[in-house]
Amino acid sequence: VGGELNPAVAASVQRTGKSKEQTYEEFSPSRSSRVLWRASPGVPPLLRPPAGPTCVVTAGKKDLIDLPALVEDELEEQFVRGSGPGGQATNKTSNCVVLKHIPTGIVVKCHQTRSVDINRKRARDIMREKLDVAYKGELSDVLVKKKESMQRKQEKRRKANENLERKRQFKEALAADSKPGNDTV
Amino acid sequence: MNNDAETVFVLNMWRRSLSTRYRCFGRRSVGPKGVWSSHAVRTCSSPVLPAGRITALEAVDFWRRHFEERGVMEPDQSSQHIIAHVLGAKTIESLERERLTEFLSQETAEQVWKLCTRRLSRMPVQYVIEEWDFRDLTLKMRPPVFIPRPETEELVELVLTDLLMKPGTGVGADTQHTCLEVGCGSGAISLSLLKSLPQLKAVALDQSQDAVDLTTENALRLRLQDRLQVHHLDIMKDAETVLSLCRPVLVLVSNPPYLFSEDMASLEPEIFRFEDHAALDGGEDGLRVIKQILVLAPQILSDHGRVYMEVDPRHPPLIRQWVEVNVGELQYVETRHDITGRPRFCILQKAKAKRDHKLDLD
Repeated sequence: VGGELNPAVAASVQRTGKSKEQTYEEFSPSRSSRVLWRASPGVPPLLRPPAGPTCVVTAGKKDLIDLPALVEDELEEQFVRGSGPGGQATNKTSNCVVLKHIPTGIVVKCHQTRSVDINRKRARDIMREKLDVAYKGELSDVLVKKKESMQRKQEKRRKANENLERKRQFKEALAADSKPGNDTV
Repeated sequence: MNNDAETVFVLNMWRRSLSTRYRCFGRRSVGPKGVWSSHAVRTCSSPVLPAGRITALEAVDFWRRHFEERGVMEPDQSSQHIIAHVLGAKTIESLERERLTEFLSQETAEQVWKLCTRRLSRMPVQYVIEEWDFRDLTLKMRPPVFIPRPETEELVELVLTDLLMKPGTGVGADTQHTCLEVGCGSGAISLSLLKSLPQLKAVALDQSQDAVDLTTENALRLRLQDRLQVHHLDIMKDAETVLSLCRPVLVLVSNPPYLFSEDMASLEPEIFRFEDHAALDGGEDGLRVIKQILVLAPQILSDHGRVYMEVDPRHPPLIRQWVEVNVGELQYVETRHDITGRPRFCILQKAKAKRDHKLDLD
């Protein structure tokens, strides 16, 4: 399943704001499975991540990072359910959600869980992180936190190695002292 | 194959309760017992467990190839979901590299073989592993009770969005609202709503005793049984009983059977052979149960209460027209689309009868 937008189709895919009824465009019928790029307007409010600071969990610690808000207008979402009416007529376990940010072209794929709903939410969280990195580069909090976390781990490892080395040397010294001929008590 | 790994592959041509186990004939010929005699039995040759030890990744690959050879749909997802489940995870991606590359114990390998062999009979993955996720819930699954579809997760979102705007549904609120679900199946919709809204109470119905049992079981597992009543009732035949047991409710929600009868025969084997046809077949135009729900809705709903239904993509305009003519007290609010962009959900609201409305304007 490709999902590349046919330019003619892309032009006619609506990206209206708060309209309640979304339209969709179908690709050529020759495709064996029906792939629909759905404009994301009208996504229920619960699906939209908050605009303000978001909790991003890194290395077991929660840090508040100000991630860019997503504008649903600028997103296109894809979820394949095959041809035909879908719904009760199909029982598939594939739940991969593909989210595309049109202005930057960034694409996020998510199939982390067995729930499409949760995958959609996570795809949006990941998209926000990617956008942050795209906009801010090295200064992005996402990268800064990652770097800090890595540095903490390296520091931990270095200290652990140092301790092991000290212990090894101590044992060697102990073994040398207890050789026959010595009068230590 | 040892005795424990015997599995019978049963073609479920007759709609009998499927609480019996599935066992498959290997290369031996063991005759069916009397209780099986009314079912058609097909022999299948399932692959033998390899002599040497294998890793999880190797097993995934082995079974993916085998499913492909045998024409089983979604060969890679099937293989991954089943093996992840045997290893105690929900997805293969969530497993550590170390676990995927270490050798499986004999017991684990046998379990993998047993479950994957079931999938060879086109049993849906959800029935093979006896569970599936719906939004943030993990539910027990059992044939022939209908398996929740991903589209229906969005139906729950629609209901939640509206309910959260009402006073009395949030934490600490004192008003208690009730929702009624018609055709609860495994309990996915009701339990999802109850989980998200601590003040909500739910009444769920199904014409299938298997569904009633499974919904009850899932409610207990999720510790939501205190706020849920489950009844074995058929909305078509037991309408009066339904009306008597529910106070006016704020929300009526349903994923009723909505397929067209003529489309039933062309359903994929996973559905046709294993899921309850009564949960799928909506009659000639797919609207048989839908219409009944809509006719009863005004008597079940409180003022301004709403109906939320999942339907076939062809239904929304038909429902809108039909309700206009036949159900004066219901107002069509809107059609919502599912994640694939198909018209999928109808929302209607109990309004004053059109005749009364006109009088108000005078």
